[in-house]
Amino acid sequence: MYKLLIDAGTTWSKVLELFDDENSLQNSPFNFCIDNLQKVNRTGSFKNKDGKAVKGRITLFPSKYLHKLSILFDKATGHMVKNHIKPDGAYENEVIALAYGAMKILNNPKDATIVDIGSRDIKWIKFKGGKYSDLDWNGSCGSATGATVEMLCKFYDIDPANIEVQKEKIPVTCGVFAMEKIMDLIASGTQTEIAISKYIHGIAYNTWKFAGQPDIMYLSGGFCMNPCFIKSLELYCKVVPLGRYVLLEGLY
Amino acid sequence: MTDQNKRLIGMWGYPHPEVIRQMQAEYPENDIIDLDINYNYASSNILPDAYCRIITNIIDNAVYLKDKLDVIIASVGEEKCDNGRFAATILADMGFNIVRTKYCKCPDTPVNVPISESNLPLRQKIMVIMDSIIAPASIAFEKSKPEYGFWGVPPNDMNILDLFPDNTHVFGWTRCVEANRPADIDLEMYVNESVPTVFFAQTFCAKMQLAKYLAKKYNGLYVDVDDVASNSVKAKIEAFIRLR
Repeated sequence: MYKLLIDAGTTWSKVLELFDDENSLQNSPFNFCIDNLQKVNRTGSFKNKDGKAVKGRITLFPSKYLHKLSILFDKATGHMVKNHIKPDGAYENEVIALAYGAMKILNNPKDATIVDIGSRDIKWIKFKGGKYSDLDWNGSCGSATGATVEMLCKFYDIDPANIEVQKEKIPVTCGVFAMEKIMDLIASGTQTEIAISKYIHGIAYNTWKFAGQPDIMYLSGGFCMNPCFIKSLELYCKVVPLGRYVLLEGLY
Repeated sequence: MTDQNKRLIGMWGYPHPEVIRQMQAEYPENDIIDLDINYNYASSNILPDAYCRIITNIIDNAVYLKDKLDVIIASVGEEKCDNGRFAATILADMGFNIVRTKYCKCPDTPVNVPISESNLPLRQKIMVIMDSIIAPASIAFEKSKPEYGFWGVPPNDMNILDLFPDNTHVFGWTRCVEANRPADIDLEMYVNESVPTVFFAQTFCAKMQLAKYLAKKYNGLYVDVDDVASNSVKAKIEAFIRLR
């Protein structure tokens, strides 16, 4: 058995190869470099939806390379993948993948709000009394999320790990207005790190409000690796980071 | 769509049936065209970019079809919205022949909504209901047991209706239209509390406040769409239907 699963986000793609025999990885398309940018994140034991252990390997690479790879997947979720699925493969809606992944990771939670923040959108799902209770997925105005922070950090050459949390925030209801505020702050002499931190705080506050102001937020997505975002969010609620593979977990 | 060469009577909302009959008698050769619908005609650039898509359709369609429209029957009462009244004023000012109507009185008969509660596909239910403003429907259907609800007006992007199973019942203004009481706010607020319901409004429409409020009250899903539904909107409707 060799199966290829993918969560193809706008910026990053997460691939899980499931196999019985480690030798089947010898011909894996992910053994080859994609301009040296792919990272094998973890090889080991994973748990399928029936609780059975399966062998697997996770690889992370920028989604912009997806169109260069002539690989078809067995199961997929995400914005970028619809043309990369085997004829007998399956596509899973991202909210449903989030719901199934969270149920698996949190072991069928009774009451929980799980929020996934991607490069350009926020989606959340809520369980109450052990059952699905509510969900939402923001639209056009949600573009002020991960990709914008990545672009800002690259543009100003700042390591996001070194940004200190700020008590003040920039409102991000409109991403365009928020960007203008950052530029204004920097132009008026505010340190770039501080301006970006206020922006990250604004995203954190917006996320918390959009998700219905939960007391505890289970966080999914790349922002789990951003300490400034986590600390900003902790000004409003307890945060439990689940990592960036929750949707992938929802596929098997 | 209508015959390319025919003269037209335009209408929007749910005009008083008596006024529709009068206009049909006055212009017996004309087809009636619903100006609420998006026919993808060129933009008139009259309204702001960020505005209700349905009202924009009305203005754009009217301007595009100006030479063919002998009259426009404009719903300007509580059965439509203030924006309908403003659109009538703008078009009259531009020289269109506008007949304003209000259809606010509810009939004394009990509410009867067989199509809203039928087994027809949701898109067909809504199209049949809206077509019945001009001519009663003659279509076979059976009553269905509701599993989901759709609350709202006919969307500009009708494709979202194809996401729902056939046993979805219709609520909100569209149900009011079938019941011949388009201004009945109590009926518009009614939903079947036992079925998960999607509360839909066009972005920038005044009905957004009702849709959002009712979605929270009945633990439904609030959705607003400007022009065409994004993949995110479609996916969350799909997830709501599958997970509930």
